[in-house]
Amino acid sequence: MSDKIRYGFYSGCCFQGADARFYEILQDVFAKIDVELELIQDAVCCGSGVIEERSELTSLAVNAKNMAHAEKMGLPLYTPCSTCFNVISNAQKRMRENPALHAQVNEILAEQGLEYKGTCKITHTLWVIAQDVGLEKLKERVTNPLSGLRVASYYGCHTRNPADIQGFESADNPTSLEDILRVLGVQIVEYETQEDCCGYHLAWPNNQLNMQMTANVLEGAHKKDVDLMVTSCPLCFKSMDGSQAKALAQTGKNFQLPVLFLPELVGLACGMSPDEMKLQFHGVPVSLRL
Amino acid sequence: MSETITPDRKSILANIRIQRFTPGQHKSAFYDNFKVSVETGMTVLETLRLIKNTQDSSLTFRAFCRSKICGSCAVRVNGKPVLACSTQLMPILEDFKKESVTIQPLRNMPVLRDLVVDIDPVIEKLSKMHPYLMENRDRIPESLEQESLMSRQELSRFDYITDCILCGSCYSACSAASADPKYAGPLTLAKAYRFSADVRDDFKGERMQAAVDQGLWSCAQCRKCINVCPKDTRPAVSIQRMRKMSIDDGIHDTPGSRRAKAYTEDVAKYGQVNKPMLPVIVNGPKGWAAIEAADNYLRKHGIEPERQVCLLDGQNSAEQIYDKVKEIESKGENKI
Repeated sequence: MSDKIRYGFYSGCCFQGADARFYEILQDVFAKIDVELELIQDAVCCGSGVIEERSELTSLAVNAKNMAHAEKMGLPLYTPCSTCFNVISNAQKRMRENPALHAQVNEILAEQGLEYKGTCKITHTLWVIAQDVGLEKLKERVTNPLSGLRVASYYGCHTRNPADIQGFESADNPTSLEDILRVLGVQIVEYETQEDCCGYHLAWPNNQLNMQMTANVLEGAHKKDVDLMVTSCPLCFKSMDGSQAKALAQTGKNFQLPVLFLPELVGLACGMSPDEMKLQFHGVPVSLRL
Repeated sequence: MSETITPDRKSILANIRIQRFTPGQHKSAFYDNFKVSVETGMTVLETLRLIKNTQDSSLTFRAFCRSKICGSCAVRVNGKPVLACSTQLMPILEDFKKESVTIQPLRNMPVLRDLVVDIDPVIEKLSKMHPYLMENRDRIPESLEQESLMSRQELSRFDYITDCILCGSCYSACSAASADPKYAGPLTLAKAYRFSADVRDDFKGERMQAAVDQGLWSCAQCRKCINVCPKDTRPAVSIQRMRKMSIDDGIHDTPGSRRAKAYTEDVAKYGQVNKPMLPVIVNGPKGWAAIEAADNYLRKHGIEPERQVCLLDGQNSAEQIYDKVKEIESKGENKI
């Protein structure tokens, strides 16, 4: 029996309800690389940076509560959602910088018998795989290397910006995603729009601009004749896959680019089937001969 | 002897790849490569000067103060906007583990020549934001001898933005500004907030209208502007605060303000955003088309759609937090 690495799992909204399949996929893929998730009970939505537009203190208190639960479990807080990662890390940073604010938030939490100590480590799929599991172990578990696939890698923004909340790797030149992809056997293709934002968070306030931004990123990758795009962010995945047809139609572009969420590609490389990865749910058909 | 404080002096023979372009003379931009011995401590600006002085006097760039004050020397190094005068090359070569760097002009602005861009279109957008104080007579004394005082907390609402030197780095990094040329961009909206948040100002209405018209709700909050700002002015945070100010002013008829209201109220009520119903909440009756499309998609895959919010377990405790925060905020005891 090998030792499992355990995390307090903060699901965010992308891994439940209509998107619950992602939670199942994630658990199955993580089982292959000896990672175990324990759901953080009594968690609250991180607010996605939107609650700040009404009350910054509410957002901080809600996310301090989320971190306090992980602290109680004695586990690092792992969220696969880049925006949750960003918002919760930001809350941690602001309370670190402002002890009076930290104390005030704890006063709010005290009514629920909670205390946010500030010790909670926050992490994301990228570093769970690239650093905690490690590339060596991942390599051992890859039974079906995806050799020859031309892949456009896409981090999205919220694991990278702002730089100082992260600390896992360089924000200007992150390599975790490419490091993982190389172990899976694919060929990584650089493209002009890889640093651009997909505009997911404009889906409600300015959908037309969201579609334009998504189309811009996709077109940059398409120009390099890639087989597929892989992203470590589930929200970017929604833009790139779910909204792709609309985005390309609205901007007068005519092509299709399959997009995979990173855990799906890891699963495929570790010998799981497209059915197990539920690729039939994708908006853009994925036809890979494995 | 300074041995203990002098860092290791390193030297790398690096390839400096610089984008060149003169409108009217060149059909499109191209790259020139220069070999330069980059040493520890050498800035991007020193490297550019060295190339101009010893290899190609036609290389054109802009720089003035050399002290991170004037903001004129911003360029992109390996894609990231930086001030040439305050950015050393060695750490970048080490970060990218390559003996080559690419230097380009800022993005989203017309290139005048090589690394020099025309920032006037951005300044034009800024000027429409009324970036100046209009006297609030309640806070500015009549007599010139008296100072216009404000509390530390009042100052802290905007003092972090006053460091902005209009270098254009955030504007260059902004994907929304690339995709929508009409969007005002981070620095202009941040400046609008800076004046609107100042207690000595009494000009909210027109400035707020200008901000809404020029894309207050077009920022995707990707937060690249925070990453690249050489003065740590956090434009995306100011945009969030300007949005809050607009909603506090009673401007509720934008999709963005409806989203903010929905998220905030839903999290209080359910501990979670009621995503299945969000299209109608934000877009009104026409949002039903999106809900029905989502339902059909789920049925196609054998999942029975639910119109109910998906529940994390924390729904009961969220409301308690909201109530407590409201109590603190109403007393003005917020430590933000």
